[in-house]
Amino acid sequence: MSENYKFDTLSLHAGHIPDKETGSRAVPIYQTTSYVFNSTEEAASLYNMEVGGHLYTRISNPTVAALEQRLAALEGGASALACSSGMAAMHLVVSAICSSGDHIVASSKMYGANINLLQHTMPRFGVNTDFVNPNDPEAIKRAIKPNTKLVFGEVIGNPGLDIMDVPEIAKICNSKNIPLVLDATFNTPYLMQPFKHGANIIVHSLTKWLGGHGIAIGGAIVNGGNFDWGDKDKFPTISGPHFALGGISFWEEFGPSALIAKIRAEGMYNFGPSLSPTNAFHLMQGIETLPLRMKKHIENTHSILDFLVNHEMVEWVKHPDLETHPDHEVAKRILPKGSGSIVAFGIKGGREAGKAFIESVQLASHLANVGDAKTLLIHPGSTTHSHLSSEAMKEGGLTDDMIRLSVGLEDINDITKDFERGFRAVKKLNK
Amino acid sequence: MIINFKGAKTYIGTGGKSLDVSKMTLCFLHGAGQNHLSFIQQARFFAYKGYSVVVPDMPAHGFSDGNPCKSIKENAEWINDLLVELNLKDVVVIGHSQGCLVALELNRILKSSLEALIFVAGSNEIPVNQFLLDLSKENPQKASEMMVTWGHGIDGDMSINKWPGHSHYGEGNNIMCMNKSTALRYDLHACNDYSDGIDAAKNIKVPALAVLAKNDQMTPLKSGLKFLELIKNCETHTLDCGHFLPSERPMELNSIINSFLSKLK
Repeated sequence: MSENYKFDTLSLHAGHIPDKETGSRAVPIYQTTSYVFNSTEEAASLYNMEVGGHLYTRISNPTVAALEQRLAALEGGASALACSSGMAAMHLVVSAICSSGDHIVASSKMYGANINLLQHTMPRFGVNTDFVNPNDPEAIKRAIKPNTKLVFGEVIGNPGLDIMDVPEIAKICNSKNIPLVLDATFNTPYLMQPFKHGANIIVHSLTKWLGGHGIAIGGAIVNGGNFDWGDKDKFPTISGPHFALGGISFWEEFGPSALIAKIRAEGMYNFGPSLSPTNAFHLMQGIETLPLRMKKHIENTHSILDFLVNHEMVEWVKHPDLETHPDHEVAKRILPKGSGSIVAFGIKGGREAGKAFIESVQLASHLANVGDAKTLLIHPGSTTHSHLSSEAMKEGGLTDDMIRLSVGLEDINDITKDFERGFRAVKKLNK
Repeated sequence: MIINFKGAKTYIGTGGKSLDVSKMTLCFLHGAGQNHLSFIQQARFFAYKGYSVVVPDMPAHGFSDGNPCKSIKENAEWINDLLVELNLKDVVVIGHSQGCLVALELNRILKSSLEALIFVAGSNEIPVNQFLLDLSKENPQKASEMMVTWGHGIDGDMSINKWPGHSHYGEGNNIMCMNKSTALRYDLHACNDYSDGIDAAKNIKVPALAVLAKNDQMTPLKSGLKFLELIKNCETHTLDCGHFLPSERPMELNSIINSFLSKLK
């Protein structure tokens, strides 16, 4: 019987049914590089992409495929592909769609590595990017050129927490026949499913909330299957004859899954950023509790926002669920369950105060990650951006008093007590 | 390949190989609201096995323009004319769902040489409930989503797929969305209105193969088995899956078809 299972159920089950031979309830870890062919004919069928199956773990693997199919189900996509990291996913998408001479329009307020890839690396290969304010759909429209092949942004920007008006930007992309590619790491499909708002391709860093336990690096591309790649002049390597497999047209042969088929045949085959089966297993364990964790992340985030907004030592607090956030109205509309569990705040006393706070807390971990079940903190002014002046940091949308907080799942009273310890240290410093 | 046929752009999948009319041709006919992508894992497979493969997008489906055919007979006439246009002679027709009804009618009128008929998840009749008929007019996208859900067995629910990373539901919905918005309505009415299946089935003289699905909610197994009683010497197989058998059990289906075809040679 068809059941059309709901999100919480799919988080636990999608992509795996216990096999009849072993009855293994958990997804088995297929720790293998390769697969025995039953015949030369079968091997040829797999190489020629006549039928689905596994031939080498760099291209696909049964454990990784279970993760991919779980992600496709949770996002409501046509197909998905998991890879070694979120940045690998980003590069696979860009290199599958763009060739030398092509152009990208991207948000100016994104994760540094996303900006570096588009601003410094891709131009060396003839792919140039114009960066625009993600909160200004008209600016995005104006930046699109005849050779623009994709529009890229983050649903919730990192670290500035700007919210993209996805439905508005999707309308613009749709009218120009350009795919909208979104990094949806900070929202996860639990908080928002971008395909329902008109996006076409999603990239994830699975390392963060989807994995959720800080134990495995991984990335994924989820393909909505809702983009028409049929313009052979615009997307010649997807709809026109490709060098692989005697001139295959991925669009004609695979339709909604053309992009993933191409990435598997070209990106995974030629670049090789495969995800290890063991990491796929760890990431799936995380996804099993995604709905429970995200509920608690949001609950704790809202409590910590109350705490910080009313604290005498806090200069400012930034989160899209606060009415003071410039994108609050957009956030309410597209992220009604909450806008994630990253909070930025400034401590009275500037750079030194931020440093003292970070060095005095003991429960929250001082490190460069987000989306862990544990509370994480970083003070860019004394770590990642310590080499920059206050003015230079401001130009990048950062301030030297800023703390980036990734709210974890601990008892909220323990988190606030820990922060009070940090604030007491700052008070001593200010005296 | 794309040709201009009866004044409209018409797409014909050939499984990644050029059409060679000197070879035996496998002509795949898609079901209601579907297109050539129903046979992703059959087209390339058989083209690479040395057969000539044609998987037409019926008018208003997939990459084909034109207006949808209004009846099963009209669909069959359109296919017949296409096979003549392409100068195809030794043809095995493989229908899925509505494609089986079209194959039954095609058997009556085919001017090219028909070698065999293969019915996948088929019957001699496909009655459609009034709710779905109405929904296909009022909200074709919703009707498509419901068909994709009903049409798959447990593999659809659980996002299990032989093709790594693919989702039956996500892919199925988007395949149906590629068609013109009127295509599904005309197809469902054509299925519902077709009543010549019993006579057409009794009229089959060529070798026949039927592959049915145990958990088929669109053309139930019971209806399929009753249909097969009408056909003389029809080889029959039942697979444990839902109606979208070509994507749910591709290897098993391909193997059964391959074995059947080898007996024709």
